[in-house]
Amino acid sequence: MRRAGWLVLGAVVVTVPWLVATAIPRQQRYVLHVLIFTAIFAALALSYDLVVGHVGSLSLAHPAFFGIGAYAAAILATRAGWPFLASVLAAVLAAALVAALVGVPLFRLAEHAFAVGTLGLALVASVVANNWVEVTRGPLCITGIPKPRLGALAITTLPAFYWLALTALVAVALLYRGLTTFRLGRAFHAVRDNEPLAGAAGIDPLKYRLLAFTLAGAIAGGIGALYAHYLSVMCPEEMTVSLTVNLLVIVFLGGVGSLRGVLVGAVLFTALPEVLRLTPTWRLVIYGGLLLLVVIRSPGGLESLLSRARSPR
Amino acid sequence: MPLLEVRGLVKRFLGVTAVDQVDLAVEPGELVSLIGPNGSGKTTLFNCVTGYLAADGGRVLFRGHDLTSAPPHRVARLGVARTFQQVSVFPRLSALENLLVFLQQHQEEQLLARLLRTPRVRRLEAAAVDRARRLLDLVGLGAKADAAAGSLSYGQRKLLAFAGALMPDPDLLLLDEPAAAVNPTMINQMKDHILALHREGKTVLLVEHNMDVVMDISQRIVVLDHGQKIAEGPPAAIRRDPRVIEAYFGR
Repeated sequence: MRRAGWLVLGAVVVTVPWLVATAIPRQQRYVLHVLIFTAIFAALALSYDLVVGHVGSLSLAHPAFFGIGAYAAAILATRAGWPFLASVLAAVLAAALVAALVGVPLFRLAEHAFAVGTLGLALVASVVANNWVEVTRGPLCITGIPKPRLGALAITTLPAFYWLALTALVAVALLYRGLTTFRLGRAFHAVRDNEPLAGAAGIDPLKYRLLAFTLAGAIAGGIGALYAHYLSVMCPEEMTVSLTVNLLVIVFLGGVGSLRGVLVGAVLFTALPEVLRLTPTWRLVIYGGLLLLVVIRSPGGLESLLSRARSPR
Repeated sequence: MPLLEVRGLVKRFLGVTAVDQVDLAVEPGELVSLIGPNGSGKTTLFNCVTGYLAADGGRVLFRGHDLTSAPPHRVARLGVARTFQQVSVFPRLSALENLLVFLQQHQEEQLLARLLRTPRVRRLEAAAVDRARRLLDLVGLGAKADAAAGSLSYGQRKLLAFAGALMPDPDLLLLDEPAAAVNPTMINQMKDHILALHREGKTVLLVEHNMDVVMDISQRIVVLDHGQKIAEGPPAAIRRDPRVIEAYFGR
């Protein structure tokens, strides 16, 4: 029964381009665009949750890794003519490298200082993107980023890009599952729940925090590259603190530390505001209100509401 | 060669000398208790031995390895297990997972093997689950295997923490007040567990306030007062030692 449900859901998700084309042909481009954004933000939020949800460190640096990846790919693809996969790989490595380098000093800071330190990193990255004009073109943005090409397969249409984004999301979700369950997940959760005791259990807390932070940075970098190739433009505004706010909303309202929760959060808070045509100002007001409500009433987010509904006690 | 050797250990906090030139040796298979009035430096000594505090002087040797500046996870992996005075569990993990955490870090370090769940890792995991279930049964928590550790009672969490320390089959077990703040039945239970470990040949160093327990089970007792070692010997001698009586009751 549950399995059948998942199969139906999977089939719907994969065939969405055709479904939309038949049901609402005039809206197809718009709907697919929203869905591509949803997949990209879902993958980004999953990577963010590795740090926030699973090792319990409130990082605010995620836009920096997303931006580093996006710019690395954009620059390599436009100036050096690198092919799509190579530029994505370079983006992943660049973001991972920066995460590993800044992670070592950042994790020496206690909780709140860590959050402030990572916020500092995000702000510095944003300032660099705006002002290092020779490399990033600053506010003029990097334009003309080529559409992805996988061998002979050119990803030029919206349905094709939707499937590419979906593939990326599935890959990230599988990696997320592998990292957060079984022995690795247990070690992450031990560090999150009780750091001194984790040490007594033979776990090096710093090592596991750094691992989560670096992998999260690497994924964010790859997603950033995908994003830049999709929009074909990369501007400094794409990596501001408002991206952190979006990620916090998705992760905390959806369900911190839960694959299903984060996915539900991503769908609700990327697709819904678009569908409801909310103005940015109202969106922030509503997000703020919802965050307060969830943090007070249901700290586990929607995910804990879902599990509670399923197993009433 | 002693299993654990502490030589001239010194630890100061803001000018107060919490541990003052303490020497201590524990031979393999011994059951030694560390006693002393509140604030005499027992837990501080534990924390220096297990890497939670950096000593200001002296050395800690375990099987000849210098542990003096090793971090907690390295000390643990060398075969030294400890429990904490404040009950300490991973509240959001199940009781079973709490125990599994304590064994897995001793088994393999290949992150990729862990991510890919190679057959070897799966076998180790299955064996670890077996051992964890046996230990849960041993401390009477078999029925609670899947309960979140945070939902257990104080006493149950204490037993769980004790079982966790046993998981990696450590060579040296440092127990920080295992009988504190639990009911008399459980004190006896704890006493039996410790004696059983001793009979199996495990080396145990115990910090404990409950004198009945200490006098009953220890082979040797080391007494600290104001950070200094004031007496050492078998329970019968310690009971009569005028310095110990003075430290506890004043003159």
